[in-house]
Amino acid sequence: MAHHEHEHERGHIGPATYYKVFAALMVLMFLTVGAWWVEGMLNIPRALGVFIAVAIASTKTVLIVLFFMHIKVSSRVTQLYAVAALVALLFMFVITMGDYFARGWPPELGPLP
Amino acid sequence: MATTALPGRNYLEEDATTIGAWLKAWFLTVDHKRIAILYLLSINFFFLLGGLAASVIRVELITPQGDLLSADLYNRAFTLHGIIMVFFFLIPGIPAVLGNFLVPLMIGARDMAFPRLNLFSWYLYMAGGIFALTAAIFGGVDTGWTFYTPFSSTYANSNVILTITGAFIMGFSSITTGVNFIVTIHTMRAPGMTWFRLPLFIWASYATSLIIVLATPVIGITLLLVAIERLWGVGIFDPALGGDPLLFQHLFWFYSHPAVYIMILPGFGVISELIAAFSRKRIFGYEFIAFSSMAIALLGFLVWGHHMFVSGQSVYAGLVFSFLTMLVAIPSAIKVFNWTATLYKGSISYRTPMLYALGFIGLFVIGGLTGIFLGIVAINIHVTDTYFVVAHFHYVMVGGAIMAYLGGIHYWWPKMTGRMYNEVWGGISALIIFVGFNMTFFPQFIVGYLGMPRRYHVYPQEFQVLHVLSSAGATILAIGFIIPIIYLTISLWKGAIAGDNPWDATGLEWEVSSPPPTHNFTTTPVVTREAYDYPPDAAEVDAANWRPGSPL
Repeated sequence: MAHHEHEHERGHIGPATYYKVFAALMVLMFLTVGAWWVEGMLNIPRALGVFIAVAIASTKTVLIVLFFMHIKVSSRVTQLYAVAALVALLFMFVITMGDYFARGWPPELGPLP
Repeated sequence: MATTALPGRNYLEEDATTIGAWLKAWFLTVDHKRIAILYLLSINFFFLLGGLAASVIRVELITPQGDLLSADLYNRAFTLHGIIMVFFFLIPGIPAVLGNFLVPLMIGARDMAFPRLNLFSWYLYMAGGIFALTAAIFGGVDTGWTFYTPFSSTYANSNVILTITGAFIMGFSSITTGVNFIVTIHTMRAPGMTWFRLPLFIWASYATSLIIVLATPVIGITLLLVAIERLWGVGIFDPALGGDPLLFQHLFWFYSHPAVYIMILPGFGVISELIAAFSRKRIFGYEFIAFSSMAIALLGFLVWGHHMFVSGQSVYAGLVFSFLTMLVAIPSAIKVFNWTATLYKGSISYRTPMLYALGFIGLFVIGGLTGIFLGIVAINIHVTDTYFVVAHFHYVMVGGAIMAYLGGIHYWWPKMTGRMYNEVWGGISALIIFVGFNMTFFPQFIVGYLGMPRRYHVYPQEFQVLHVLSSAGATILAIGFIIPIIYLTISLWKGAIAGDNPWDATGLEWEVSSPPPTHNFTTTPVVTREAYDYPPDAAEVDAANWRPGSPL
């Protein structure tokens, strides 16, 4: 049927890929924990530690969105919606963080941790 | 019985011979039209309940003393009013009733893309409503509909958890409806129904669905976090536990400001349909109106901080939000100017839906412009948490969304039921609502500007005149809302047979019988005409054909 052909055109993710992505996610999880240990042992600045943790978490998110949520093989419209959701999230984070950074913390609190 | 048998087999007709079969046919239906009727009945029930709470508030405010309610009970009354009206009437109102009924009909589809999901959304709505009602029955909640922390998460001694559970579940009902609309509009348009042939109601519903899908999950998680803090004392929003109350406000308004556009955008769509149909002209600036809906959907995500000018957010954020708030005025004004331009040299007929549409334009302009006032930080600081704000958002919500809802209900009533309502009573009630509405809410601009804070049940003596005026207006408004319920119900039995296209309007929904057949279209329609394809000489022909006694 035309409908089925259409589905096939969009591609298919096989079990092998799922297992590979799962393995990658497990590796990234251990990397997160490992980064925490390394940060503690080598006295890496907190800001850099947070950056590394966020980078690993973002990689995990991308893997999940692309493979487990099938965005990689979905139609362009679905991909557009996935991007739109990320853009909305970006609005929320950027503007809210803009407020936090510009708020002017009381001096008695000292420098931000 | 009646000699006025409705033509053909329509979605209201029934095979069921037993009550059980009838219940099953309605409560397990996957027909978008029946689901719309289920929503119509349940949403109107919640509207009446919210209206009852409003009446209690207005009666209390007739005198400066707290005669009728204690302070605590008053808190619970306005919270009940707010929660029911916002979450259970305004947000689902037009999309769930008119949208569900019309989206497939307008685009030439047999049903929604996910009919079972559509039914599920109604059950979620009812489940959320039952939670909220249960909370009300067991004493209500006193946080206001905004659930500000740390009061809601730590200090309130009322049914916060039950209520936010209701709002949380209701959020999923919205999301399922939004997803259904998006997929339906993308994938199920009839051949020839290109994006720029879509009725503007569809564009508005699409833009609304975008907001619903992108913003509603945020409020869901935020309410969940409030529950976690309240139940287990995890510090998220309460400063005493290491949390930040402003974080709650950021997250709450990230949804709740776009939610204002969830309420009003479908109303814009309805008004575009009404103005074109009762001016008998193609809408002026079709593309601009369509894209202004999308622009509002986008800009609506960038302005939430104007609810937080005095909450302690940074001056920098205040300036940015103030500037961005001004931008929303542009697409809103585009719509109003285009509607006005559509009226120019149109064959305008003052039927009930058109009265609502014209009322909408006037009231929404006042609501929108006072929104600009409030977007300016300096004015906002002066009138924050006063009745000026209350008047402003009621001009948008009641003067805008409810006028559009009622206009839409009247316009598509013949299609939904196959019967005409009483036009005389329709016009009278529209005028009563317009007068009652202005009498209720215009004095609130003045009393708010003079310094009357919202959410107080006692007030200085000098404000009494304006409050009495407002309460008297609310009585007129209530009468205006009750009259349509009566004549619309009577019309189900006594109304004249409507015919397929009583307004001589364009659009696929008017090409099927009234009420529509169960599967909408016996053959898939092929669209070859532009939207609002009224003949260019419609105005001249109408004028030549008009005789004394014809409808205005």
